[in-house]
Amino acid sequence: MIHRVGALFAVTLFALIFIRLAGGYTERSALRPLAEHYVLQAPLELGVSNIVTGILIAYRGFDTLGEVAVLFMVAASVGLLLRKDEADLGEAKAPQRRPASEIVMTGSRVLLPVILTFGAYVIVNGHLSAGGGFQGGAIVASGVMLLLLADPAARLNAAALSMIESLAGMLYVGMGILGLILAGGFLDPRFLPLGEAGTLISAGAIPLVSALLGIKVGAELSVIINRFRS
Amino acid sequence: MIELIGSLLILSGAVFLFSAGLGLVRMPDSFTRIQAGTKATTLGNILIVVGLAFYHPGWIPKLALVIFFVLMTNPVSSHALSRAAHRIRTPMTPATVTDALADDGKTGDAEGAP
Repeated sequence: MIHRVGALFAVTLFALIFIRLAGGYTERSALRPLAEHYVLQAPLELGVSNIVTGILIAYRGFDTLGEVAVLFMVAASVGLLLRKDEADLGEAKAPQRRPASEIVMTGSRVLLPVILTFGAYVIVNGHLSAGGGFQGGAIVASGVMLLLLADPAARLNAAALSMIESLAGMLYVGMGILGLILAGGFLDPRFLPLGEAGTLISAGAIPLVSALLGIKVGAELSVIINRFRS
Repeated sequence: MIELIGSLLILSGAVFLFSAGLGLVRMPDSFTRIQAGTKATTLGNILIVVGLAFYHPGWIPKLALVIFFVLMTNPVSSHALSRAAHRIRTPMTPATVTDALADDGKTGDAEGAP
């Protein structure tokens, strides 16, 4: 009885809060000055159809570089923290895993190319529609996760993945320096021709940066997932 | 007219999804719940996507991909779930008549020792 009264009380409180929130909401009819500047200038200056990607990679490119660095540190620290367990238990635990059933194996084999293709699509279309390097990289890593879950015997080449990841990161910084030399500043993507907005090859170096981000994030998350498995 | 057909399809899909939710509440054990959830949500999703195709004929290739994805993931994932549940000896409802997976394990000895 007490429980019910308590639950009823909590629900009423929530209802009051949400009614106040919903009642006080008025739809904004105009953009804020900062947003208006971005919305008007991004397609002209950068040639991107997806303004969010333009902001993420061009205007706030340095911020994105910091995010990638954070992700890199997470991957490195996860590797450091889990290495001990791997050395002790990895060999003893591995033979106990039973193989997944045939249906799961076949399903994962059919789905994996679809998921990876979708990830690549999201990465490459970052400057045209919703998507970009981070999202596409996460999709690619989810495909890798499916592979590792469905087939416990599968081994990832972690060394090669780390190499790819470092290479993508270096190329990303190299792009930034190119922007510094050839265009307006560090990570300025306008050192390549802008092209026609809305086509696949447009918006300067944004698609290249997006692809590099996707490769880097995908490889990084795959390495993290691989670490957690053993 | 075409939009009416689409709406009816979406409505029937919603009815199937509702029956999946009802099945999750009303079914007696985890295996029957998984089954109710899988079958009804697969059909419900497909019906809703087909209904959408009537509204937006231009989306048909992408919607076909969505249907393919649902058909590939939903049954396979609940297959894996229920197999895992069977391996850890999740209790079944007393009304269960046959346990084909256990029989299969006994005769073929494919599942190995418990």
